[in-house]
Amino acid sequence: MNYTWNWGIFLEPSPEGVGTYADMLLSGLGWTVATALSSWVIAFTLGSVIGVLRTLPSKAANAVGTAYVELFRNVPLLVQMFLWYFVLPEVLPVGLGTAVKQMPDAPFYTAVLCLGFFTASRVAEQVRAGIQSLPRGQRMAGTALGFTTAQTYRHVLLPNAYRIILPPLTSEFLNNLKNTSVALTIGLLELTARARSMQEFSFQVFEAFTAATILYVLINLVVILGATLLERFVAVPGGR
Amino acid sequence: MTSTSMPAPTTGTQAASASEAPADEGLRAGPLVTPPPATATGQPMIAIDRVSKWYGEFRVLTDCSTSVARGEVVVVCGPSGSGKSTLIKCVNALEPFQEGQITVDGTRVKERGTNLPKLRARVGMVFQHFELFPHLSITDNLTIAQRKVLGRPGAEARKRGLDLLDRVGLSAHAQKYPGQLSGGQQQRVAIARALAMNPVVMLFDEPTSALDPEMVGEVLDVMVELARDGMTMMVVTHEMGFARKVADRVIFMDRGEIVEDATKDAFFGQPRSERAQQFLSKILAH
Repeated sequence: MNYTWNWGIFLEPSPEGVGTYADMLLSGLGWTVATALSSWVIAFTLGSVIGVLRTLPSKAANAVGTAYVELFRNVPLLVQMFLWYFVLPEVLPVGLGTAVKQMPDAPFYTAVLCLGFFTASRVAEQVRAGIQSLPRGQRMAGTALGFTTAQTYRHVLLPNAYRIILPPLTSEFLNNLKNTSVALTIGLLELTARARSMQEFSFQVFEAFTAATILYVLINLVVILGATLLERFVAVPGGR
Repeated sequence: MTSTSMPAPTTGTQAASASEAPADEGLRAGPLVTPPPATATGQPMIAIDRVSKWYGEFRVLTDCSTSVARGEVVVVCGPSGSGKSTLIKCVNALEPFQEGQITVDGTRVKERGTNLPKLRARVGMVFQHFELFPHLSITDNLTIAQRKVLGRPGAEARKRGLDLLDRVGLSAHAQKYPGQLSGGQQQRVAIARALAMNPVVMLFDEPTSALDPEMVGEVLDVMVELARDGMTMMVVTHEMGFARKVADRVIFMDRGEIVEDATKDAFFGQPRSERAQQFLSKILAH
């Protein structure tokens, strides 16, 4: 292999004129984290609502929840990203479509929405599984005490369901974080996109992607540490 | 209306509001239990009128009719699958039924416009598997419904919860979580949780069936005491000792029908139906 290693490349100025290659990667990491966190807010809230819909006795609520989940988990993320970014502005009324296209940081907002809606379908299934794993009597006990359906979910079912699904939910958070890299296809300058441009400018492909890999792993380790602490914090004495 | 199991002290505390905690803990039959009204009207506490229920094609309840008077203790027994749990769950509308009507303290269960959460808040229910909320401490288990459903202030709810916890003999465990208690202890907390809502009637759905044998007694003791305090109770159970001790009436169900509905003495003395006789001979044999 005819490759010249140059680990000093990170400290060399980037062709952008401001800062080094290291700065470039770190700015990419910043966008990755921002996109992951913002989309998670949507994924978690919307996913919880959809998951709850699928556990209600109402057939209509079930149908809405099922339709959402099947739509958003059965279309590839990349295709969804293109639909949101290239197709949606065209089908909106002209004025609104143009405004969307001219929005500053449009790739960021699009990626947040797209990832949020996509991951929500997966969170919804976990929330549903968590609720359904609870003994049937828990819902009855809440109901028998005079709780409304909403109160039963708020005070009885969801607090227990979330505790049960915390481990798979952590995986989902990590998936969401890594899925932000798909947004490079719509021009979001996140970590993978930055590693790619570094490779194109400097030809140091191994250094660029080694650095990106390490940064992804590090940030994920932070997430895992956080999730472990959270699990410990919400653990119920004497079992679940 | 029973008079034998009504203890004298209740009459003295009639005027006290049910939400008021007793000043004296020695008052065993004090106002921790909502006392039955002094002037019992002719209206029963629970009236079950020709109730039928189907799961799809399968008929689980057939034309069930009975009633429970104020202060009365009614034991419902029968072989498994006879519909006794389903019937008791129809009383507070945990299970819907297709035909007939149930009236609880004057409120029709199956009627548009009936506020079911409000009705259920007045009907205490104890389950086979306790169903305490595992993520809440014992204190929170006792207070959450008082606060969220009845809107009681935190301090008042807490006082009532802890008074009842003391009454079932578990004050030392207020800070613990359900998972740290034994089955018998959990069931006693569950009874206290239901009582904390000042129910006008208590439903028990096989409260001792999931317990280890050595814990059955402690739960039955609480129930016996409750019955002696004058609480209106409908109890699905196989504990015939309990039935003999405190029941006013025994209902025997089989295949979704009420086969026998008799006073305790009549039931144990000479059950009329062959099925009831067979059932009794089987469960009393051991």
